Amino acid sequence: MPRVRPVEQLLWWMAAVPATAVILVGFGVPLLQSLTASLVREGHLTLANYALVYRLYGQDVAYTVLVATAGLTLTFGAGIPLAGYLRLHHAGAIEFLLKVPLFVPFVVVGHAMRIFLAPRGTLLTVLHAMGLVSADASLGFGHGWLGLAVALAWKHLALIVLLLMGAFRAVDESYLEAARGFGASTLRQIWAVLVPMAAPSIALAAVLALTSMLASFSIPLMMSRGSGPQMLMIDLYYRFGQHGDFGVASAIGVVSYLLASGAAYYYLRAVSR
Amino acid sequence: MRSTTGTRLAKGVVGLVAALATLMAAGPAVYGQARVTLQVAIAADVNVVEVHRNFLGVAFNKNHPNVTVHAVGTGTGEAASRAIYTKLKAQADAGRRNWDIDVALVSMRYASQMVKENLLYRYVPQMQFAQYVIGPDTVRAFGVDVKGFVVPMFKNQIAIAYNPQFVSRPPRSFAELESWVRANPRRFGYNGIKGGVSGIGFVMAWVYYKTGRYELFTQGPFDKANDGIIRSAIEQLRDFNRNVVITSGNAGTLDALNRGEIWMGAVWVDQLVAWKNEGRMNPEITPVLIAPGLPIYPLYLTVPREAANRDWAAKYIDFVANPQIQAKVIVEQFGWYPGIDPNRVMPLVSPTAKGLLFKGVTPEDLARYSQQMPIGEYYDAILLAYEEIVR
Repeated sequence: MPRVRPVEQLLWWMAAVPATAVILVGFGVPLLQSLTASLVREGHLTLANYALVYRLYGQDVAYTVLVATAGLTLTFGAGIPLAGYLRLHHAGAIEFLLKVPLFVPFVVVGHAMRIFLAPRGTLLTVLHAMGLVSADASLGFGHGWLGLAVALAWKHLALIVLLLMGAFRAVDESYLEAARGFGASTLRQIWAVLVPMAAPSIALAAVLALTSMLASFSIPLMMSRGSGPQMLMIDLYYRFGQHGDFGVASAIGVVSYLLASGAAYYYLRAVSR
Repeated sequence: MRSTTGTRLAKGVVGLVAALATLMAAGPAVYGQARVTLQVAIAADVNVVEVHRNFLGVAFNKNHPNVTVHAVGTGTGEAASRAIYTKLKAQADAGRRNWDIDVALVSMRYASQMVKENLLYRYVPQMQFAQYVIGPDTVRAFGVDVKGFVVPMFKNQIAIAYNPQFVSRPPRSFAELESWVRANPRRFGYNGIKGGVSGIGFVMAWVYYKTGRYELFTQGPFDKANDGIIRSAIEQLRDFNRNVVITSGNAGTLDALNRGEIWMGAVWVDQLVAWKNEGRMNPEITPVLIAPGLPIYPLYLTVPREAANRDWAAKYIDFVANPQIQAKVIVEQFGWYPGIDPNRVMPLVSPTAKGLLFKGVTPEDLARYSQQMPIGEYYDAILLAYEEIVR
């Protein structure tokens, strides 16, 4: 390890200042503001905001984690085999199709899924025309947690597959050749070679997808109904939009930070290794 | 060759700038008045912004060539009104003079709050059409005395829309609606309280109906002891909801009506009319008002206390409140109910437009079944009870 000269060290510090300032101003300050706002009610320091979050939105915290986890499971359940297949066999058409969701805005996905999965919506109308279901059939999950998870998974699939393909391409061909030499099938190659060797990258991709799903707003806004459990961002919006209640809205925000920070901790540990 | 083109271009630009400068210098001299840009902030949907930008603003400018109306939208829902309130409050707290919004179109809720916090200017008395600004909602809003501070741009009624293909005899009261919902489970929809005010209005109407205490909730005084009757009404709503479809947002209800997923739903009348006019809505869907009533929710034209162009702002609102403008623009073009005295406006409206406007909801219905929103504290208490009990 050669010693860095003090002048050079100073230059490196200077180079890091703009980026650090952006992080501090753009993220650090709002974070502190919401932390303090969440602890103040009617001018006093109190935990009352958190008490209200617990009373009204405790169920929604669990629901948000459930939806994000289900979305994550679906994304990776489809993404790992797909990315693995594309790593082992060239299929340009599939690769192109996969990239479509990348360019579709969240709001559009939400609206499209809402219309697609709704009772008398696109999917059921087609199935009804084929004589498979009655006119008033319901999928039963169009606007519940599963419908949300499906929409979130569809939207995140492209990004995740791209990340995974990058990770899988970094795996040396000789390992795969050896596996094929022992007669391993495509699935076996994915499961026994690609996944373990790309595990850190897979975990990172999972962290990115999970935090994005926890913070999703437009898809739940378009798809969920006005009652029953909600995603946290909907509650947050409702609290400040309808009630102007920044205290409780900030408390919901802090709870979301905590949910995401578990994942972020892992991410930071992995990238700074 | 190129140099001559360049010279010509340069000469042209110089000439144009000179001409503009002359015009600008001559401007005040030509009109004898200083140029004014009237800043109009609209806390409503894009269509309302367009009305101010492309119709009212342009027409006002024809009458007053020195005044340019500059309308901006701040979004939709209560959050849009909050944005305006926050901006004005910040300017007031900073002790600024000449605030940068001259006219603000805000919801009832925020208008009342701004009156309470002394952020608005009492401009109605100086209007030519002041005597046409009538109705209980121009006197009190959310329990605050707002007389003289507000003029409704239009009135917006929440109603029950039904599809005649499936509903031969629509309900005429909440009691009939209840039995209809029992007989036709999951065929009635509204959007709960998190997807827009049509659902909130339905919930308020339900509480009035179940408690029979309309006066108390709309006039006050607020007493926490009434939490009990609110909660019992909301518990009954929770049971009612078991046979109901909760849609996603105001538009979600219209959408579900269109698809035939639901046969009846709580909607904004103006949104229903607008969607029909745009061909996005099954033209058969008809609104009705049911006893004891449903809330009306006006958007108020207000003038901030320290607006830079206060007097022009009052003139502009006067122009919007002109019965001719109300008839031609508000009623005929956009299918809203007039914001001022309907007896002054309706005689000026074409029979076709009248037919469209009052299809299903007659002026008598409006007079009988239009309700006010409750005062602020009860409004919050009812929403809180809904969040806790209904979820």
